[in-house]
Amino acid sequence: MTVPGVRCIGVSKKFRRGEHHDSLRSVIASFARALRSRPRAVEKNDREFWALRDVTFEVEPGQAVGIIGANGAGKSTLLKVLTRVLRPTTGIIDVRGRQGALIEIAAGFHPDLTGRENVALQGSIMGMPAVEIARKFDQIVEFAGVSEFIDTPVKRYSSGMNARLGFAIAAHLDPDVLIIDEVLSVGDLAFQQKAFGRIQDLVKSGIPVVVVSHQLDRVSQLCTHAILLDHGSVICQGTPAECIAEYLNPRRQGFTAVAGESPAAIDRVTVESEGEVVSGGPLRVRIEGTVGPGGVPSHVDPAVVLVMNAANGALVSAIGSSGSNLTIAEGAFAVDVELQMNVPRGLYVIQAAVWNRRTEQALGAGPSLVVQVGEGILFAGSVQLNGRMSLSPLVT
Amino acid sequence: MTLAEQISQAGGAQQVDASYSIWGALVEIAKELSSSRELTRQLILRDLRIRYKQAVFGLLWAVLMPGLIVLSGLVIRFAVVQMTGTTFERKMAAALAVKSLAWGFFIGAIGLATPSLTSNSNLVTKVHFPREVLPLSAILAQGVDSGIGALIFLFITPFLGIGLSAALVWLPIVLALLFCLTVAAGLLFSCANAFFRDVKYLVQMFITFGIFYTPIFYEPATLGPVGAKLIMLNPVTPLLEGLRLAVVEGHNLLVPLSVQAAKGMVVVWSPWYLAYSAAVAILGLLASALIFHRAEAVYAEYV
Repeated sequence: MTVPGVRCIGVSKKFRRGEHHDSLRSVIASFARALRSRPRAVEKNDREFWALRDVTFEVEPGQAVGIIGANGAGKSTLLKVLTRVLRPTTGIIDVRGRQGALIEIAAGFHPDLTGRENVALQGSIMGMPAVEIARKFDQIVEFAGVSEFIDTPVKRYSSGMNARLGFAIAAHLDPDVLIIDEVLSVGDLAFQQKAFGRIQDLVKSGIPVVVVSHQLDRVSQLCTHAILLDHGSVICQGTPAECIAEYLNPRRQGFTAVAGESPAAIDRVTVESEGEVVSGGPLRVRIEGTVGPGGVPSHVDPAVVLVMNAANGALVSAIGSSGSNLTIAEGAFAVDVELQMNVPRGLYVIQAAVWNRRTEQALGAGPSLVVQVGEGILFAGSVQLNGRMSLSPLVT
Repeated sequence: MTLAEQISQAGGAQQVDASYSIWGALVEIAKELSSSRELTRQLILRDLRIRYKQAVFGLLWAVLMPGLIVLSGLVIRFAVVQMTGTTFERKMAAALAVKSLAWGFFIGAIGLATPSLTSNSNLVTKVHFPREVLPLSAILAQGVDSGIGALIFLFITPFLGIGLSAALVWLPIVLALLFCLTVAAGLLFSCANAFFRDVKYLVQMFITFGIFYTPIFYEPATLGPVGAKLIMLNPVTPLLEGLRLAVVEGHNLLVPLSVQAAKGMVVVWSPWYLAYSAAVAILGLLASALIFHRAEAVYAEYV
């Protein structure tokens, strides 16, 4: 028996952009044009566009690889190549085992057919044998929570019901290899959690998984490995935290310090506290930087700032050294920051910068640091309210 | 195995892929199709359910198209009878019905199959499965429709003066060839339509006017000695004539047939006609299956 897995070796995919002849009429017209004028060979290369460039990775049983990157980085193309919808221009794709793809989960639904009929149709599109669909039918309907409406045409379904039913079919595929594209945000919150739990179970069962998602915290929770794509190339391959840090790196995002004058720079940001960081618990961070020769010019009023973003990019908190009365001078310096992580569990990105308070601009942004915050005991939810409780017995 | 070894192996594998074998491709198509039987069945069911679900006509749909062709043919026949002063025979109606059912299947199936890749673009661009099942299931869905029409026709045969004859053994053979020809055209046109969107309009035109170049409302003999031969170049003609001769006339298709017409003897049937259609149908099917399969990898980029 072959061990299920995904191998993607040197895969590139070229598309042609620009004018596409999609009718015979236009082909005949352009052929006539070409006969009259000399063909121009220069344009050909301009119109070529590499959606993937030499992507190589492997997924073994027990591994879950998250693919992250900005829009247009090539994530969907990579998944389409993996699921054999597209053929790579060069390179080899080897997917061993029955492949289950959670991609556009309601793609095969026909609005005029009932839920029941669509389950059979969609199941067969995903490669389920008829007996298996029949056997799992009740489970699927139960999971999707649409049992009352199963004999209603899906055009009468809400978009959430539609997506839930689609997900439920895909989630009951029992694949050897699972490929997931951005389906973690289906339905309402309760269903999202249920769906996420289902995917987690599949990952835990040890099958190889490839996930594409913009929800970076989900990627960090689900995946054992990650790949960061940028303009079709792999620019970072490693743990989810490494790739997410690189993805959110302000320098990569074009958020650089003011060019020309950079009298100060942040060199390193490190976590000093030991053990797991938990909600409500402490986190010690050390920021190391240097101030260039000549010290800080007089027109600069410097402050060290620390910015914390959630994995989805939202700003959680920005604090500055203004209140702490720090003065940085020529040479290397280190700033120790003590934080109380009054934030829900999840993945956070910490960046530091030297800030010019006079111009409100960053002088030197540093590398970013990713911190995984675990479940704490002090509070649950999104905000620590610092509630104080006192007891006074009531005399009746 | 190290990654480097795998890459060198991968390079080798690509070279093997480069040597294209027709036999290998045909085996691959057959394997893929046999593993997609359930999908084909579901797609046929989908097409039929949609067609019948909200239709007031219900099963009448199945006889509407051939029925209309028969009625149009009757009008034309009646006009001819009036002009020439001959008599109208029941067998004429029977011949019309047989040919209309077959022609209705042929054009209905092609009409459904041609846009099948583009109208299912949400599937083609997202899920991998053998693309052949799309035109094929469209053709088979039309086949079910025409089958229902044929059953209804069966009930009225006694009134049309058709009896059982040994020539009926030709019926499954001719129908199989018609099916092959239909699939050949369906695969070719759906493939072409994926790349060039105006193909479906061309096909629509060809379907509309095809009835004039196919002897349904008239007999080949009425075209004269040369015309009767030329009209056989249309590969559908020998199949329809074969159906008529076998079912209505009880004629053994291995026996040539000539009739006396105004300008001399006209050869209305020769087994070679059938051989010609069979060759076009089978070779056409093989060729279009290979073309369709070759283009399969890039449909997702074009539809």
